[in-house]
Amino acid sequence: MSYVLAKSQNDEIHSAGECGGAVTSILKYLLDEGIVEGVLALSPQNDVYDATPTFITNSDDLLKTAGSYHCAPTMVGDIVQKYLFDKKIAITVKPCDMRAVEELITRHKINKDNIYMIGLNCGGTVSPISGRKMIDLFYEANPDDVVSEEIDKGKFIIELADGSEEAVKIHDLEEEGYGRRSNCQRCDVKIPRKANIACGNWGAEDGWTFIEINDEKGQEIMDGAKKAGILETKNPSQGAIDGREKVEGIMINMAKKVQNAMYPTVSEMDEWNRCINCYACRDVCPICWCFENCELNKSYFKDEATVPPTPIAFQGVRLSHMSFSCVDCGQCDDVCPMDIPVSLIFDKLQKKYYDRTGYIAGVSDDIKPPLYSPEKTEL
Amino acid sequence: MLEIKHTLCPLCSVGCGLNVIINDGEIVGTFPYKRHPVNAGKNCLNGRKSIECYQNKFEKAIVSKTEVDIEKAIDEVSMVLNSADNSEVSIICSGNNDLEEIEAINEFGKSKNYNIAFYADDLKDFSDVASYDEVASAGKVFVIGNLLYENPLIGRRIVHAKQNGAKIYACGKTEESVTFNIADETSNSTVGEFLENNHGNIDEESVIVFNYVDSQDDLEKIETLNCKCLPVFSKSNSKGAFAIVKSKSSDELFELLDNTKVLLVFNDDIVDELDFDFGKISKIISFAPCSNKTTEISDIVVPIKTWLEKDGSFVNDMGETQMFTAAVESDALSEIEIIEKLRG
Repeated sequence: MSYVLAKSQNDEIHSAGECGGAVTSILKYLLDEGIVEGVLALSPQNDVYDATPTFITNSDDLLKTAGSYHCAPTMVGDIVQKYLFDKKIAITVKPCDMRAVEELITRHKINKDNIYMIGLNCGGTVSPISGRKMIDLFYEANPDDVVSEEIDKGKFIIELADGSEEAVKIHDLEEEGYGRRSNCQRCDVKIPRKANIACGNWGAEDGWTFIEINDEKGQEIMDGAKKAGILETKNPSQGAIDGREKVEGIMINMAKKVQNAMYPTVSEMDEWNRCINCYACRDVCPICWCFENCELNKSYFKDEATVPPTPIAFQGVRLSHMSFSCVDCGQCDDVCPMDIPVSLIFDKLQKKYYDRTGYIAGVSDDIKPPLYSPEKTEL
Repeated sequence: MLEIKHTLCPLCSVGCGLNVIINDGEIVGTFPYKRHPVNAGKNCLNGRKSIECYQNKFEKAIVSKTEVDIEKAIDEVSMVLNSADNSEVSIICSGNNDLEEIEAINEFGKSKNYNIAFYADDLKDFSDVASYDEVASAGKVFVIGNLLYENPLIGRRIVHAKQNGAKIYACGKTEESVTFNIADETSNSTVGEFLENNHGNIDEESVIVFNYVDSQDDLEKIETLNCKCLPVFSKSNSKGAFAIVKSKSSDELFELLDNTKVLLVFNDDIVDELDFDFGKISKIISFAPCSNKTTEISDIVVPIKTWLEKDGSFVNDMGETQMFTAAVESDALSEIEIIEKLRG
């Protein structure tokens, strides 16, 4: 593992990207050199709150992916396994994306040799609809006028079309029920160290990206991009390294406080009482890869007449099948029509599993997923 | 090439956004559309399955149970219509049609003096309906039907109302209702009795949300109450259709169908909805994107574009017109194109 500061040598990318455009430049290098067939990254459709995963095969289109999109809480693991399994691709990953991809690699649903993971440090994401309402309530700005947003130094910062900025402390927003999604508030994996490289602004000088190189493949990417003349690099100072570590530490401590506060509050049976058996949580879950072969589709479990479903026959099956691998991405919360805090329930159980085994889903180095790990069969 | 595109869910009138995943020009899945103000990325099972209509769409027209080219089927339709007494030709259009299609169907029917109707679940249009936010912020919500299960993204607003401190009064046909699970008071009475029993309790802070009634009298009772209401329809553009075509109750439709020799059904499954002996009708012609109970008994089936293959607009329950654009290209004909061909 090593550290480097990087910025783009391409003027257009430098001005369009965050922190000097290093990420976009690395993606351009991978595409232009034919190292990957395509890049899966976020690109806004109608506005800054509306970024969706976009598959890009022409590097001229990469500018559309430049910038940060905290109001786009997406997940790419399931897209990669379902539709891009056979392709050599680069993907930008938040820590929860990375964790999902890692869990799928252990299940042979993603071929590790086929993917380049460009990690993005993450302080959390905001749901687009509540994000717009939050800006309407707590900022002077019209949500429609926001052209970019950023989370930095504990604040949610918006930039308007006229170049002006407004910032509000995330703590204050979250006190009022806004701010980051609740799973992001609990998340204690802030730097995606299973990605080949992890990029972000923590510890970086203005106009530079701080990159942690996590493995040999990551080093090859950085060396290649530099050799191709698209990336300028320099070593970070010890102060920058310490500063980044401090930011990460503070955020992890905050997350653990939130975990301790949130876990006791959920009453599973009360929440499941309004489950409508729609399977949205299962279908969106990046770890649930069985699809049509899912046990829940079998006749002995399928009981559509019972709504809400018997918890042990629906949530119980899901909990026993994958809660130990829950990466707390919050997708299940996002898609539940009944606003059941599904990820809170699953994450709570994953943390209990962690307490017994030390296994952190998508982070620990176990070769096999926990359910199949011989060391853990007694559990 | 993998793409994700925005569209609307076509399976009820709530107006949820839906993303579809397109791989090499084919729609292969759905993806949460979290930016959509109605549903914030949440879709019910029906909504997520809505793309099955595209995946199972008709490739050929059908005449007398035999697959034929669409041009031949349209010629057959023209022949049937030309030989019919116009007063015995009836058109059923549908809340499944977008606004532009309903306009075109209505104009076509009027120009030929055909009978035109559409069925809106025996409900009616109310001019001043509650918005979804008003449901969520109501002091009391009177729920008729298992809205949490049948229209979950309206049900979600009822859950929010409950979380905001509202009292929930639920009326339904069965005890097994997830809506009952969150209600403060429940009733298996008729809708009329439910409204009567709660008459003194319904005030300006109340909202009545319903997806069925037992009779037209129930609708009149709701209209006289001192609160807003929100009828929730089973089809995506029923609210929009009301402004263009007169809706008919099931009783009125039975009367119309009794006097119909040739029935044109535009993107509807009236056979599934009405308990009527359709065998009494000489010719049934269905314009539909994929198979349903009406196409199964139709003499002629003309395939039409699914909503994923065309641009259009639906009006949702609270009266907002929402546009959608084609997610994929298609060689199929739209209903408007078919009508132009029928006009000659």
